[in-house]
Amino acid sequence: MLRAALPILLLFALWEAAVVGLAIDPFYLPSIRVVAAAMQAQSGFYLDAYLVTLAEAALGFAMGGLVGVASALLFTRLPMVKDMVLPIFIVSQTVPVIAFGAIVVLWFGNTLMAKAAIAFYLTFFPVTINTLAGIAAVDARQVALLRSFGAGQGAVMRKLLLPAALPRIFTALRLSASLALAGAIVGEWFGATRGVGAMLLAAMFNEQIVSLWASILVAAAVGGTLFAAVALAERAMVFWREEL
Amino acid sequence: MNRAVILRGILGAVLLIGAWEFSVRFFALPQWILPPPSGILATAWSGRAALLPAAAMTAYEALSGYAIGAVLGVGLAMLLALAAPLRAVLLPMVVAVNSIPVAAYAPLALLWFGTGALSKIIMVAFIVGFTVFLNALDGLTRVDPAAIALLRSFGAGRLRLLWTLRLPAALPSIATGLRISTVRAMIVTLVTEMLGSQLGLGWTIFQAVLLIDFLQVWAAILVASIISLLFFGVVSAIERRVVFWR
Amino acid sequence: MTATKLSISGVGKNFGAVRALDRVDLDIAPGEFVTLIGPSGCGKSTLFNMLAGLLEPDAGGTILLDGKPGKLLGRTAFMPQRDLLLPWRNVLDNALLPCEIEGLPRAETRARAEKMAVDFGLRGFEKHFPQQLSGGMRQRVALMRTFMFERDLMLLDEPFGALDALTRSMMQRWLLDIWARYRRTIIFITHDIDEAIFLADRVVVMSARPGRIKLDRRIELPRPRDAHLLTAPEFTAIKRELLDAVEEESLKSFSA
Repeated sequence: MLRAALPILLLFALWEAAVVGLAIDPFYLPSIRVVAAAMQAQSGFYLDAYLVTLAEAALGFAMGGLVGVASALLFTRLPMVKDMVLPIFIVSQTVPVIAFGAIVVLWFGNTLMAKAAIAFYLTFFPVTINTLAGIAAVDARQVALLRSFGAGQGAVMRKLLLPAALPRIFTALRLSASLALAGAIVGEWFGATRGVGAMLLAAMFNEQIVSLWASILVAAAVGGTLFAAVALAERAMVFWREEL
Repeated sequence: MNRAVILRGILGAVLLIGAWEFSVRFFALPQWILPPPSGILATAWSGRAALLPAAAMTAYEALSGYAIGAVLGVGLAMLLALAAPLRAVLLPMVVAVNSIPVAAYAPLALLWFGTGALSKIIMVAFIVGFTVFLNALDGLTRVDPAAIALLRSFGAGRLRLLWTLRLPAALPSIATGLRISTVRAMIVTLVTEMLGSQLGLGWTIFQAVLLIDFLQVWAAILVASIISLLFFGVVSAIERRVVFWR
Repeated sequence: MTATKLSISGVGKNFGAVRALDRVDLDIAPGEFVTLIGPSGCGKSTLFNMLAGLLEPDAGGTILLDGKPGKLLGRTAFMPQRDLLLPWRNVLDNALLPCEIEGLPRAETRARAEKMAVDFGLRGFEKHFPQQLSGGMRQRVALMRTFMFERDLMLLDEPFGALDALTRSMMQRWLLDIWARYRRTIIFITHDIDEAIFLADRVVVMSARPGRIKLDRRIELPRPRDAHLLTAPEFTAIKRELLDAVEEESLKSFSA
């Protein structure tokens, strides 16, 4: 915990030192004390934004993760379907799918579901692809060994394929945690009134640099929360990682 | 990859587009739910006079930012590869900053650098720089210690090690960073354009959403995807040429 | 030939609380082929790293090369266990690596390498990349790289360890051939007693950790040597003697 907090504290110290030492124009970088004071003065407002955006991103992220792993397992059972769908999934990773966020908002309106849906598909594709890659990387001899013990398909999946794919699943989850958050924020740009994205937009249009920085910090806090959740889950589930 | 797998992939794509076109027509889906692929293509073609300059602007911003970010990222990584103590202090901070999503500081770039191309180029350079930097540094510092020992036994110094061993050994991970960065460059350009610009595909999308012009949104996404795919394809092809030993 | 090429005296090494190498004393004459054998973890590689100048011996130990003390880095030709060929360089460029680092004129060293490639059975493969070569061939490239680094003392750390038995015995005879032609002083680490005897003028057996020299046996078998030697009675006699010594040490490190 301390190891994670140290670079952040150091960053804040550097920030303050730069503002004071280099006499930076507050239009570019206001003192962190000013930003902190602004956040404290309107703590309810910022807390609301934090919770709204966290809920959108976390909901979509969790669903995306679960459905992603589930569909990878399904595809493993249906190699024909996998071969047909996987290239489309991979191509989807090379195009700016975040732009579809605009369409999703048009579909769902300015609801929590709309942002969660964006976060969902931004998580879903990388998790599916990485899970499949993790399963494909399992040594065929290990599968043969388990089968020789009399394991059925389900047992092979539960006892070998899924655990073996876990490290890669978590790699995808760490990557998509920030993607899901970006998706939620961008989704809020299309007319939302609550959430970090809406706050960022308002601060930008009103040229309120202090509240813009405060919003960035809130965004970082949401990202940090998602990251920490993934890291904790990873440490609990992939304790053997060093041996791989 | 064998032919059957490739054929299945093509079959999948054809089926997807076919099913899309068919269901839109058969169920007479309204445009706001899903326009047919043929309609998207037709809109892109008839709107080409407006889409092309927007696409050119987006490509220009993405490519310039990409080039600047790539050079800075590799350069900084090489400097830090030589300075281990500095690396230990800086790296966690870089990782912390990198975990904040782009969308959060895009408004800052617009305030500071205006709604022209500059703000997008700087944003892209920033993101690409981070990505390439982290990948390059990882590659530069994760060289087989035995290989380092061997070159030292031949009398190689630090600079010589960097040039003859670390840099080529890091090429695969630098290339990976450059490949991932193509897509990120496009995403960042579009996202920053959505926030505020005078021209560009992201701006086209944003305005089309406000005007509830669905076909135009899809057409702009289509064009952006084509640029992105081309960009990705070219960089991957260069990668395979340069990192032939992988 | 009374001069000594290499003189090691009282050399030891601690890693923290672990005593890796106790007190090693060893003199090696110019042109001698010495094989070093001992149980795993007996400090052979530590000793090699010190001879290559990659590691400093603990205080009190001295290593004299050509009778002179001083930094050893870049003064001996070191070949590590794995071939460590750089995959982005072709055969010739891999072999030229040490000359390039030394800053020798390229055209000259290139011509020398092209000539040497014939001796090393790499003719026609100069432009191949390591990943296109067999294990035995890769090892020959690595050896050639070591020979290109023209130092009188060569340190070979289990160069044939990863090869199959057939390739291995071919490579051994071939190495003796090369050695007879180029006349360098060689210290060769191995795990294989047959290999140790077959190659060497002297076999040095090291003890289990902390490493010391347990036995220093001169091998006076006639050269050139061929495969039949392996079944000759004088060979088997030496082998039995060495096996006893090595076995004793292996048991020690096994029960430790």
